[in-house]
Amino acid sequence: MSKKIIINGKEVSTDVDGNMPLLWYLRDEVDYTGTKFGCGMGLCGACTVHIDGKAVRSCITPVNQALGKKVTTIEGLSENGDHPLQKAWVEHKVPQCGYCQAGQIMNAASLLAENPNPSADQIEQGMQGNICRCGTYNRIKKAIASAAEKMQEA
Amino acid sequence: MSIIKLTRREFLKTSGTAASGIAAGGFALGVMIPTQATAASSEIFEPNAFVHIDSQGKTTIHCGRCEMGQGISTALPAAVADELEADWSRVTVLQAEGNEDKYGPQATGGSRSINIMFEPMREAGASARLMLTAAAAQVWKVKPTDCYAENHFVYNKKTKQKLAYGQLASIAAEMPVPEKPKLKTKDQYRYIGKPVPRHDVGEVVVGKRTYGIDTRVKGMKYAAIKHVPVYGGKVKSFDASEAEKMKGVIKVVNIPRFEAPYGSLGGIGVVADNTWTAQQALAKIQIEWDRGPHGVYNTKAYKAAMVKQVENPAKPIFKRGDLKSAFDNAKVTHSATYVQGHLSHSPMEPMVSTVSVTDDACEVWASTQDPAGIQRTLGAYLGREPKTIKVNVMMAGGGFGRKFKCDYVQEAAALSKAVGAPVQLAWSREEDTKTGYYHSTSAQHLEGSVDDKGHLTGWLHRSAFPTIGSTFDPSIEWPREQDLGAVINHPYGIKNFEVESGHAPAHTRIGWYRAVRAIFEGFAFNSFTDELAHKSGTDSLAFFRNIYRNNKDPEQKEKVERSLAVLELAAEKGEWGKKLPKNHGLGIAVHHSFESYLAMVVHAEVDGDKIKVHRVDCAVDCGEVLNPDGATAQMEGAVIMGMSLALYTEVSFKDGEVMNTNFHDYPVLRTNEVPPIINVHFAKNDYKATGLGEPGVPTFAPALTNAIFAASGKRYRSLPIKPIYA
Repeated sequence: MSKKIIINGKEVSTDVDGNMPLLWYLRDEVDYTGTKFGCGMGLCGACTVHIDGKAVRSCITPVNQALGKKVTTIEGLSENGDHPLQKAWVEHKVPQCGYCQAGQIMNAASLLAENPNPSADQIEQGMQGNICRCGTYNRIKKAIASAAEKMQEA
Repeated sequence: MSIIKLTRREFLKTSGTAASGIAAGGFALGVMIPTQATAASSEIFEPNAFVHIDSQGKTTIHCGRCEMGQGISTALPAAVADELEADWSRVTVLQAEGNEDKYGPQATGGSRSINIMFEPMREAGASARLMLTAAAAQVWKVKPTDCYAENHFVYNKKTKQKLAYGQLASIAAEMPVPEKPKLKTKDQYRYIGKPVPRHDVGEVVVGKRTYGIDTRVKGMKYAAIKHVPVYGGKVKSFDASEAEKMKGVIKVVNIPRFEAPYGSLGGIGVVADNTWTAQQALAKIQIEWDRGPHGVYNTKAYKAAMVKQVENPAKPIFKRGDLKSAFDNAKVTHSATYVQGHLSHSPMEPMVSTVSVTDDACEVWASTQDPAGIQRTLGAYLGREPKTIKVNVMMAGGGFGRKFKCDYVQEAAALSKAVGAPVQLAWSREEDTKTGYYHSTSAQHLEGSVDDKGHLTGWLHRSAFPTIGSTFDPSIEWPREQDLGAVINHPYGIKNFEVESGHAPAHTRIGWYRAVRAIFEGFAFNSFTDELAHKSGTDSLAFFRNIYRNNKDPEQKEKVERSLAVLELAAEKGEWGKKLPKNHGLGIAVHHSFESYLAMVVHAEVDGDKIKVHRVDCAVDCGEVLNPDGATAQMEGAVIMGMSLALYTEVSFKDGEVMNTNFHDYPVLRTNEVPPIINVHFAKNDYKATGLGEPGVPTFAPALTNAIFAASGKRYRSLPIKPIYA
């Protein structure tokens, strides 16, 4: 029996095994490859997406938990790639390899949605679950702080 | 056979290149057959492998070197665009496929890309610019010297008329290729030396950058693999009946070990309709392993054995002066032993490749650092001519040396062959951690003597580590003279100096890890120098300075001067000698590797077991800096990787098998522990541009442990400081 998920605003019918992690469903079944595989255990954050606006690790979230809900991936975070975080990432020249950055941005977007004016400590705490092996951490923190500032002004 | 479509023009160029210079060992750009190609004239201007301009002026620059986050696909194409006088906003950068005849050496390691490709690629841009200028001159019936190129146009100096590159493309294609075009001087640079942003940053932030794992090919299947957990072991038996019953499972494949340096360890692969099904099925397979001859490998015991090796006389490799008399006449003597564990690269994108093998063709899409290595390995595996293997070089989600080895590609080829369809094989994080090619574990014993004036007079350096050479030739069981070259040639002024090698046979696959041997050699040199300074009551900076100044070897003059310059720069910027609160300390280290020079001052605070780094000042001499922002990013990354390996990362073996599995038991640095201030200072000089992907790593750990000693009096000689498996 087919069930529905709303992915980036589009309703999608699915009949896959509900135990399949959302990560592999997004990547292999519906081709949203912006969401990345990193560890498979919720340890690195590369696979972070939103369910109803809240950050989840899609590698340990079964498709079942997304049924009837709104899933947002990096491809759907903004219409024209102009979310303040995406703009800040470009401005601060954050990415090196860039592989973890979709997860970093999605996690930061959820963080700012909950706390629009985070302190440096709160940013650091909120981003602890996301690993960047290239070591772009300081630029990520600067980009989040500057995006938060811009969002406050807007 | 895989057919690579060549236009007649390309064919002439390629064959012309092949005929004229490659045999001399050089990569001969500009040795192309210039004018005979009129028959294929088109709207496209493609004077060499790197530059492509269409009639609309749309410019494509190919990058032959592999991109894994180090920024080479921006730095080198920006240099081409600079010499070409192209408008960067109209340039598209494309990653070149594997073809060393066309693009020059592509094996991307050893921080060599800038070193070897900066000039040839600039020449490619300059020669295209001269041809466009000549084309305009022909149109205006003036001399080329009456014209000049600027930002995608050629101008007539006298009339101020202009023609766009797109308008000139087809005419420029008929112009002779200049032999050795004159390059710009520094004052003429448009992009070189400027913080040009990454060409692909806009794609990254919207999730549209396509990495190896994002390859999608029509009809492709997905696979997972479980390797033999011990190097040299094999599958004894397996029962896949449960797995084979699962919906969506296509085939279970026993992949035997492929005896080649980049070949598979061997294991069981599952091909399925999607990755998750393949992983689920794999977990249901009962496998019995034959653990083979290395099933006894235990790193705790192995490190102890290496320490014993180096704390006793070993195999002499190099000798200068009279070490015994230096020690007999010394005011201070000291000895210490330094140890480091294996490291796993653990890039965020695990090992992934997609391969299609058919009867007459083989095509690969892989995150790789060495496309020619894939061609050689698959050529040998499939029994085909290596150049018939088409390799699409995909953006790598990190590499750090690991993606030089293509075992994960050969495995995907085996799976594709078995099911007759293209297959994407994605290793799990666990397989990446447990069955990689590891950085050598090492032990080094140092003995030193200092005279009554505070000068270093003698140095014994005994080193044991399984070599990378062992991966290619398992009979190599000792570090050879070539493996100890950086120790022998370290630009210290030491009159009496001996180097010895300790027995260290490999029990796992050893690979290149970002900065390679410089990691543990830099740790030993800098830690021991700091120890000797303290023992002899001398300030560490002054002690380092003296050692370099005492090197009067004319052949090492440049190395000494450049090492001293970064040492002084780091000391000045890092405020060496400043007053600090209790439990705070500064540490300094200086090391050169891959032809670049680094010094760091680390400011650390120690509170019991807690180590906090407040600030790092890096002084960098990589000659001419191509992209200051890219270079700064490489240093920031090197500090963080250096801090991961100083504090946490170590791969430990028990009964031949790696104990670590994922980021919980192979922890890497997270955002809350990162030094909040990482300053990067570039030395100003006229040396040629050299690479920076690796050279930042070696100085961090010793600068940190030296700072910890200054703060707390505690000396760490074994890395990592906080091992998971002690």
